[in-house]
Amino acid sequence: MNQTEDARPVVRLRKIHKSFDTNHVLRGIDLTVGQGQHVVIFGPSGSGKSTLLRTTNLLETPDSGSVWFDGKEYGPGIEGEDLPRGKARLLRQEIGMVFQQFNLFPHITALDNVALALRRVRRVKRDQAEHRAATYLDRVGLLDKLGAFPSQLSGGQQQRVAIARSLVMEPKVMLFDEPTSALDPELVGEVLAVMRDLAESGMTMVVVTHEMGFAREAGDLNIFMDEGVVVETGGRELYDHAREPRTRAFLQAIL
Amino acid sequence: MKSLLVIPVLAQARFRPEFIWENRDVFLGGVRLTVFIAIVAFALATVFGLGVALLRMSKNRLLAPIMAAYINIFRAIPLLVFVVFVYYGIAIQFDVRISAIQAGILVLTLQYSAWLGEIFRGGIQAVDDGQTQAALSVGMSRPQTFFRVVLPQAIRIVIPPTGNMFIGMIKDSSLVFIIGVPELFRVSSVMANRTFRYFEVYLGAVLFYLILTTAAYFGVKYIEKRFALVDVLTTRVRSPLARRRGIRLRMIQEAVASEREAKSSETGTAM
Ligand SMILES: Nc1ncnc2c1ncn2[C@@H]1O[C@H](COP(=O)(O)OP(=O)(O)OP(=O)(O)O)[C@@H](O)[C@H]1O
Ligand SMILES: [Mg+2]
Repeated sequence: MNQTEDARPVVRLRKIHKSFDTNHVLRGIDLTVGQGQHVVIFGPSGSGKSTLLRTTNLLETPDSGSVWFDGKEYGPGIEGEDLPRGKARLLRQEIGMVFQQFNLFPHITALDNVALALRRVRRVKRDQAEHRAATYLDRVGLLDKLGAFPSQLSGGQQQRVAIARSLVMEPKVMLFDEPTSALDPELVGEVLAVMRDLAESGMTMVVVTHEMGFAREAGDLNIFMDEGVVVETGGRELYDHAREPRTRAFLQAIL
Repeated sequence: MKSLLVIPVLAQARFRPEFIWENRDVFLGGVRLTVFIAIVAFALATVFGLGVALLRMSKNRLLAPIMAAYINIFRAIPLLVFVVFVYYGIAIQFDVRISAIQAGILVLTLQYSAWLGEIFRGGIQAVDDGQTQAALSVGMSRPQTFFRVVLPQAIRIVIPPTGNMFIGMIKDSSLVFIIGVPELFRVSSVMANRTFRYFEVYLGAVLFYLILTTAAYFGVKYIEKRFALVDVLTTRVRSPLARRRGIRLRMIQEAVASEREAKSSETGTAM
């Protein structure tokens, strides 16, 4: 899974700023994600990791800064530049997101959770959408749960359905926001296994996680964030040879 | 003192339960109008209530506060006073030609829109924001997100309180008797004043209201059950629709499983 440094960029964040009232959460983030690259983001609670992910697919609109994706500019942009902006909704169709709390739609079955966007966004006919949705549920090992509602599934199963729900749209990038931290320890493995498969298949991934085993193994580019800035980035060596004292202190505390 | 003696004499008139049966057509005429008023006013109030809730939650600087004021004002006026005010006050002052039934439905609708608007707003806001985020994250539009994800969940939340409101509507519809609408209570009181059979007549009215509200109660229970979430693959289901759905899901399962097997034998990597 070693990625060359000069992989073609897919997503590029430039000078992203975001405040909630007086709380300046993102303070000028620059980040480039290459094709097939696996980016791991870690850092203390409240450092802005979730906000950064949500800004990447414009679930949160940054106050300023630009999101470049696959040849187009999105978001408010950078002062002085005057580039045409794309629609957030079209960006989100190409970028998948997996949430800490799964956020499955509780009122419809696992199959319908996965088929919904195919039918309503991509306008795929029902038969075809359901067949494709079932194929993705099979891929995450849940073919026997087509008719189950989220409340009838374990946390690990719910998160796998959520991953299938994103994958079925065939996104170019997948964002994961602490996908295993709401799970009981014995259920973490099944979700990480699905994510490993996905990484091996060459999917471009940005993962916020404190699962250091997964991070060491999958992270081509590792980013330590604190107080709304990128403190340090590095390859696999980062976990053992961090330069910044803040990174080292954080790694020591969580290991 | 003398008048006090008269009343017990009247009250002691022999109880004739068959009186209710003999006058069933009069009661049933009232019941029919009560049901009509309650259903029409409630249907209108449901539609308007949803509109009130949506505008109240919107970021519209003009309409949002107007809806908040509407809710507060219309919930605060006693229904009886409001009916009289509209029918004898406004209608006469401004020469609005409106029948008593129309006035009654109008007032019930206005007031119940305010109540239901608040119930619907509560239901919509009770749906976790993560649901909206997830729907948007797969590329759904705002309206799709609302109608396909948020609203269906909100409906489940508001079924019980909305059902209570419908039962309340059946009872409250009796208040339009004051403007002469011949619904169940009105026809009862007219009958009572004419026959002096107060006990039988009002007992009949009470029984008919009980029957109506009990029927409504079971209707709500039924709707709640219809909205229950059942896995058609693992649960024994009786409805033909659910059974057909189960067969469909099983067919999809088999198709996907056999495709997977075909693929793995093709590449020789047995999984
Ligand atoms: N919608 C919001 N409204 C107001 N403040 C917010 C909102 N979302 C995040 N914040 C604030 O922004 C800051 C960063 O939050 P964020 O969730 O991005 O941190 P995080 O690094 O993901 O933390 P955690 O590890 O706990 O998930 C926090 O101070 C949080 O309170
Ligand atoms: Mg977070």
